[in-house]
Amino acid sequence: MSFINSSKKNKIALIDCNSFYVSCERLFNPKIINKPVVVLSNNDGCVISRSIEAKKIGIKMGEPYFKVKELVKKNNVYIFSSNYALYGDLSRRVMKTLKSFSEKIEIYSIDEAFVDLSHIQEKEIENYGKEIRERILRWTGIPTSVGISNTKTLSKVANNLAKKNKSGVIYLKDNIDEYLKKFYISDIWGVGKQLSKLYIKNGIDTAYKLKNISNTWVKKSTNVSGAKTVMELRGISCINLETHEVKRKSCCVSRSFGKKVESLEKLEESVTTHCLNAAEKIRHDNQITRSITIYIRTSPFDKNRKYYSNSITIDLPVATSNSLELVKAAIEGLKKIYRYGYFYQKAGITFSKLTESSENELNLLAPIMENKSQTLMKAIDFTNAKYGRNAISVAKAGINTSWKMKREHFSKIDTASFKDLPMLKI
Amino acid sequence: MAYKEQNKNIMKLTIPFYLHKVGAGFPSPATDYIEDDIDLNSHLITNAPATFIIRVQGKSMVNVGIYDGDLLIVDKSIDPRNFSTVITNVNEELVVKTLVKEKGVSYLTSGSKSISEKINLTENPEIIIWGVVTYVIHKQQ
Repeated sequence: MSFINSSKKNKIALIDCNSFYVSCERLFNPKIINKPVVVLSNNDGCVISRSIEAKKIGIKMGEPYFKVKELVKKNNVYIFSSNYALYGDLSRRVMKTLKSFSEKIEIYSIDEAFVDLSHIQEKEIENYGKEIRERILRWTGIPTSVGISNTKTLSKVANNLAKKNKSGVIYLKDNIDEYLKKFYISDIWGVGKQLSKLYIKNGIDTAYKLKNISNTWVKKSTNVSGAKTVMELRGISCINLETHEVKRKSCCVSRSFGKKVESLEKLEESVTTHCLNAAEKIRHDNQITRSITIYIRTSPFDKNRKYYSNSITIDLPVATSNSLELVKAAIEGLKKIYRYGYFYQKAGITFSKLTESSENELNLLAPIMENKSQTLMKAIDFTNAKYGRNAISVAKAGINTSWKMKREHFSKIDTASFKDLPMLKI
Repeated sequence: MAYKEQNKNIMKLTIPFYLHKVGAGFPSPATDYIEDDIDLNSHLITNAPATFIIRVQGKSMVNVGIYDGDLLIVDKSIDPRNFSTVITNVNEELVVKTLVKEKGVSYLTSGSKSISEKINLTENPEIIIWGVVTYVIHKQQ
């Protein structure tokens, strides 16, 4: 019996939400069900999610909004600015629902998760997949596709097929090769642009061809992860489920401006706001930072104006999560890289070398004030969580912030905030 | 996203729950009787990922106890019973209705409207029950 068990193969499901951002917008807006819908990235820049109907019209992923405006007008496409508060809450609901099936899940992105289904009987697995799909749809209103196979890489392939399948569930076990022969090399999970170029140059243009490549060639021509992908295509599990959340090593906040920014003052406002947001994030995770990087740049596509891009990293004498100290350092850095006469398009900050706050070694330089300021930071975070972000801020962040994000098609619904709850007229 | 998590903690409003009523002016023995904090979330929400809070605007459901500005606790995971208040899509819009079952047929009715305006669910298969209203939060003062 134990022999049979040990030879049993893994079963891994990849659950992927269908046109996730569009599905989120549809949840409280039945008018846009079965209609072409598109969600735009920050600043209404590019298409980042589209419904099947929008895809059929010929709107492509990642296309700049201005390029598809004509198509949008002609076909009455519904346009939305991204509403990450809503998508984040619905994502958490989807993942929580998944956890009602198994604790062994790896949240891979905002709309995808791997689930270990090795404990499910072979003959029940497809029905189990259907049950997962139905429960997520019923509880959260979000449609998903479920791909199941022996490895993570194959479950990604299965999910791709499930997207085109009516039932939305595929268990890839038999005739795998038939599917792999039709599976394009660059669609394989873990095969990026560079790698697929290399493969295609060597005549490997399908998953099937990659699966049957010689081990020595792969090891010689690619790296460890390239070899792992090949093994996974053969049904041998090499990439484990990462069920534990790893604390981040760095934290980055950056935004493009709604309108190009020229003055130092406006840049200071933006950098300060990014700094405050990032500081709040790391405080929430009980982390402190030792190093802060500030960068600014103009638009690389603007042919009429000179391009400028620069960054600076400042190492702090004492690791901290104190907003006031971080803002002070960030502004100092910004002043050093700012050049007059450019039209800036983007600014950002990155905190790196993050460590656990409790690991904070005793430092003679650490001001005795630190304790007091921690209490202040806690009070600020609490107030902002209660009364809306930036209820308490620092004066540098400015009040009239003309550089802020463009969100002309914003749905303004937040299922996790009393302020912006979905509204029904009765 | 971190900000949202924190928001949830604040939402969890707890009030000390006393087992005995205590007369005014002599509070000290009461401290022995504090059993546990009362948690409105756990009382109002049985299935968190499937429960949404929706605000209503309008007066058409006053006779089922839903007033302008009230908050509805809506559970998408449970089945409606006879006379359940439900959220449903009618004419491409989410609306609040009452589900009525008669001789095996389900109808949707709106609070005050006459019986003739009820919607037969078997004749309108495109109408789905979006969720079931489990509680109404009404501000009294």
